[in-house]
Amino acid sequence: MHRRGGAGLAGLERLQQSQRSFATLSSQLSRAQIDNLHAELAHFRAALTHFATNHRADIRRDPTFRRAFTQMCAQLGVDPLAGPRKGGWWEDALGLGDWQAELAVQIVDVCVSTRERNGGLIDMTDLVRLVSRMRGVDGGAITEDDVVRSLKALRPLGAGYEVVDFGDGRKMVRSVAKELDADQMAVLAISQAHGGRVDAQMLVEQRGWTPERARAVLNIMLLKDGTCWLDDQDGPNGDGVAYWVPATMQWGE
Amino acid sequence: MGLSTYLTPSGFLLPSIHSAPPFFVQQPNPATQAVVTEQWTRLVLSYARHRRLFFLRLDDAAAPTGEWAEVLHNERINRAPLPPHLALVLAHMVAKGLAAYEPPRQSRTVLLHWRLPEEWAEVLHDWAVGTGQLNTILTFFEIAEPEVESPLVGIPAPLLRAAIAVLARTGRAQAISIPDGEGVRFFSGRATK
Repeated sequence: MHRRGGAGLAGLERLQQSQRSFATLSSQLSRAQIDNLHAELAHFRAALTHFATNHRADIRRDPTFRRAFTQMCAQLGVDPLAGPRKGGWWEDALGLGDWQAELAVQIVDVCVSTRERNGGLIDMTDLVRLVSRMRGVDGGAITEDDVVRSLKALRPLGAGYEVVDFGDGRKMVRSVAKELDADQMAVLAISQAHGGRVDAQMLVEQRGWTPERARAVLNIMLLKDGTCWLDDQDGPNGDGVAYWVPATMQWGE
Repeated sequence: MGLSTYLTPSGFLLPSIHSAPPFFVQQPNPATQAVVTEQWTRLVLSYARHRRLFFLRLDDAAAPTGEWAEVLHNERINRAPLPPHLALVLAHMVAKGLAAYEPPRQSRTVLLHWRLPEEWAEVLHDWAVGTGQLNTILTFFEIAEPEVESPLVGIPAPLLRAAIAVLARTGRAQAISIPDGEGVRFFSGRATK
């Protein structure tokens, strides 16, 4: 009872046969696409390397150019920091891996050496200024952007360096692995608006906190973290208590 | 409000931390206090060198005028270290050999070592050689109040004694007691022990 239709053993075989053909065709097509993509990628990589090599000096010297370049890389989905880890072509082309690592070391140096003074919390502009000074004048100009990228490079080390953004354009870098809770952020924001000075009364008036809450937060920052300093000669009679946050004080040269 | 350096009437440049109110206050956090103490130590010694001051007393903290007023009082922010805070700084300096309680066995007055006794020893010997006073007996008075201006003007006797002791160890000086006080004889540096 053979039927030349779809059913039966022969029909099954024919179906399998055609599926195999389609599969072959499909893999041929995708291989062509992949080859094409590989070629394009190689081309792109060559172009990018060419660009990077040509403008290496500019990238390393000029902060604005460097920012534009890294932004371009970000849009293309290329991570300048990934280079040194994977094959090193980026490193060869740019030397930016070294540059970034060197900057990271300087940032850590500044953060650690000022930690006793500021309790591990430093204003971004201060950090940029101190690092710039350490780098000297020759091609040492850096921007906040560079600092942020270098700190990103440090992240795998688990050192806990983090950028704290106040949302009003001011940023700080925290170099000790501890959480800044919302209350401490509020204290920092208020002290920032008053040249570094803050007292319990200000927190009560401006945040609606209870005096106990204000004192508790300030005491933690003062005694445990060392992020603020005590002034017990405050006020007209010299017997008031105020707190000063070195990270938000404007230090002259 | 920015913190800036300040040039005092005597021509001393105060660091910007001197205009920060908490700098004058004893800090409850030991790590913070260590920074404050270190900064005070540096400030006291450099001001002492600037004005050639040899002694610092706890009472200077309470005196709004006087030779230490520029440093111990910041009238622009109305701050001064309290005596216990200053005592803490002085104790730190004594422990580090940067000062000595003088007279000994009290802790209200220190003799400042803005030059260490070893450094004074070299200054002293250089002066003796430079003014041709080797092998003669000199009184402490002649050294501290010389007829010609010298780097040793006003040097207190305890510091001079310490410097001479350093030189004596290498055979470059010998302390001598004379009828009306103390004296010293210097020898050339090449003399063997």
